[in-house]
Amino acid sequence: MKTNFLFPNKFKKIGWIIFIPVFILSILWVIFEFEPEFLDVSVISLFNDEFLQDMQIMIIIENNIADEILGILLIVSSLLIAFSKERNEDEFISKIRLESLVWATYVNYAILILAFIFIYNMIFFWVAVFNMFTILIFFIIRYNWALYKLKKSMSHEE
Amino acid sequence: MKNSLKVERAKMNITQAQLAELAKVSRQTINAIESGKYNLSTILALKIARIFNAKVDAIFELEVGD
Repeated sequence: MKTNFLFPNKFKKIGWIIFIPVFILSILWVIFEFEPEFLDVSVISLFNDEFLQDMQIMIIIENNIADEILGILLIVSSLLIAFSKERNEDEFISKIRLESLVWATYVNYAILILAFIFIYNMIFFWVAVFNMFTILIFFIIRYNWALYKLKKSMSHEE
Repeated sequence: MKNSLKVERAKMNITQAQLAELAKVSRQTINAIESGKYNLSTILALKIARIFNAKVDAIFELEVGD
């Protein structure tokens, strides 16, 4: 009962501070392929599959790591926002949290199924890229909206 | 589940916020329990009963359909 796998409340703020700039930079990366040269580095590629070549295992390649950094920061900051405790986290808040998580999972995969059916080739690749992040983002939106609605409905009573 | 939280609060002359503080939950939780939107846990029911110095089933009652 005590283990709820949530972060302490203060991590929510840290999450937002990282998330907002990283989200903006990620959008710029998608639109302008923003890849600063100083981020061209040697990386270990576990499974490397170059065009018209056999697959190689565990080799060093050159790669721009802007997208790796942005992707990791986006996931970590979204996790902190989504799964940090509220200041007044209790059993009712946990219920709203669970409902929102179920809702976000359904919406996320419903969109993915529609994309399977109606979107092909390179655009589907982009759908797959966005889909890595959307489940957390849908959860954050739905959960905070539910909390906001609750607070608003309360201000009319008592 | 029916409950008589509102009546018990009135008897003790405390607000939802005060009850929330005594039970160490949020005000939203007390509000949702009182309006029947949320079925609370056994632990919280026991805590609330203790605050009102009553038995759990004096405050919370099963309804037809539960």
